[in-house]
Amino acid sequence: MAAPTHALVEHFFRHEYGRLVAQLARAIGVARLELVEDVVQTALVRALQSWSLRGVPDDPAGWLYRVARNAATDALRRERKQSDLGDRDLPEPLEPTSDDAIADDQLRLLFVCCHPALPLESQVALALKTLCGFSTGEIAAGLLTNEENVQKRLFRAKERLREVNFDPSVVPPERLPERLEAVRTVVYLLFNEGYHSTHGNELVRRDVCDEAIRLGRLLAADPATGSPSTFALLALMLLNAARFEARIAGGGQHLLQDQDRAKWDPALLAEGFHWFARSGVGDELSRYHLEAGIVSKHAAATSFAATDWTAIVGLYDLLLRIAPSPLHALNRAVAVAERDGPAVGLAELHAIPPASIPEGYYLWPAVVGELHRRAGDFPAARDQLARAYRLATSPSERELILQRLKACTPP
Amino acid sequence: MPKYLFIYRNEPMPAPPSPEEMQGVLAQWGVWIEKFMKTGNLLDPGDGLKECGKVLRQGGTAVTDGPFVEAKEILGGYSIIQAANYDEAVAVAKECPGALHGTLEIRELAGFS
Repeated sequence: MAAPTHALVEHFFRHEYGRLVAQLARAIGVARLELVEDVVQTALVRALQSWSLRGVPDDPAGWLYRVARNAATDALRRERKQSDLGDRDLPEPLEPTSDDAIADDQLRLLFVCCHPALPLESQVALALKTLCGFSTGEIAAGLLTNEENVQKRLFRAKERLREVNFDPSVVPPERLPERLEAVRTVVYLLFNEGYHSTHGNELVRRDVCDEAIRLGRLLAADPATGSPSTFALLALMLLNAARFEARIAGGGQHLLQDQDRAKWDPALLAEGFHWFARSGVGDELSRYHLEAGIVSKHAAATSFAATDWTAIVGLYDLLLRIAPSPLHALNRAVAVAERDGPAVGLAELHAIPPASIPEGYYLWPAVVGELHRRAGDFPAARDQLARAYRLATSPSERELILQRLKACTPP
Repeated sequence: MPKYLFIYRNEPMPAPPSPEEMQGVLAQWGVWIEKFMKTGNLLDPGDGLKECGKVLRQGGTAVTDGPFVEAKEILGGYSIIQAANYDEAVAVAKECPGALHGTLEIRELAGFS
């Protein structure tokens, strides 16, 4: 008996899309990604037509798989007929495989998406499209760009993949660490796009984060890709994601110090700490280890005041050494201000060469202004916060700065 | 009680919906079917129709591949409901995803009810 159509698990279509594309791309070749995506799309449309009124079949994944496989075989046959090749060289019919094998297929496709021949932003878009089943509209919403731009990126990426004719089954073992590093970068970028952007649709951004975590779990579960740095990356994403709901509780955006810690997700925290513990095995020390270490200090603190700022400053010191970035320097100064007071934090910020600060970066004057406010220098605070307000681009950023501006009066 | 045929038509979509959107539409159908099965209005959810078909003309001497191409919208499926009158049938139809995402035609069955 067919089940009601709303009995499907959440994101079923999206995830089946990714699984099917990965399986078919393995069987037919990544050079044919366009055709693969077409036939998977066809299978989903047929499911919609057939399940809407009759309900969902007992094995919906198997149903989709059969329809997609047959559509792929038909499409290839049609092509061969046109080019007089007949059934010669037709790829082996796709056999149903295990969940493990499908995970392998997805990892393989992830390595394809992260091919060094593609620009970084195309790698992210391609992963969202092929592995996560996002539409161009959803990718645009998640990556804060427009649809046309996403379409261009995807089109060029697929063209480039055909040119390099990359066979993902033959990443030479000596190249694996380097390629794996690129894969981790893309997964983390994906997560950050969803987590740190204050723009766009909250739900889509949450989905982007969930997808990054899903890919992180796949990487961690496979012995070839599950290294301590991968575990650290997964821990970092999970511990951050645990705060997702608390950040946006009751509308608006809540900074760490204003969050209700009871709203942090205990399951994600536990899973995050599990992987963080496993990341400590061996002698790898990546930026993910240090960033996960910082997040773990926040996650372990019972209140904002009880945070171990000394440990966090120490971790930022190490992080700045292996991954110098103005954002890390800014965050370090914030931690110093929490530990030693706003004047010391400001002195740290003033010691940073202005040339290394990205122009038009609203967060910088926002932090400087806030530290001036706390130090009681309201004219300087107002000046900096007003600058931050002009540079901020999203309503929730502006709202936060406005609150600080209003607080720029003697108590 | 009079019976009505719900006929669902769709215009060809400019861009295919995303997997997530498709699942959303599917869930809407599930909610609608469940609700009006309970009220007794939905006698038979019916079925979707595959895209390709055959069309017979001229007393069956001319058989061509369908669907009936004169229509801009494609016949996508049907259901059978029962309702006291057209007003009630329209009320059921207004909540139907078939009306939200395409055109829904209601026709009363002519046979004895």
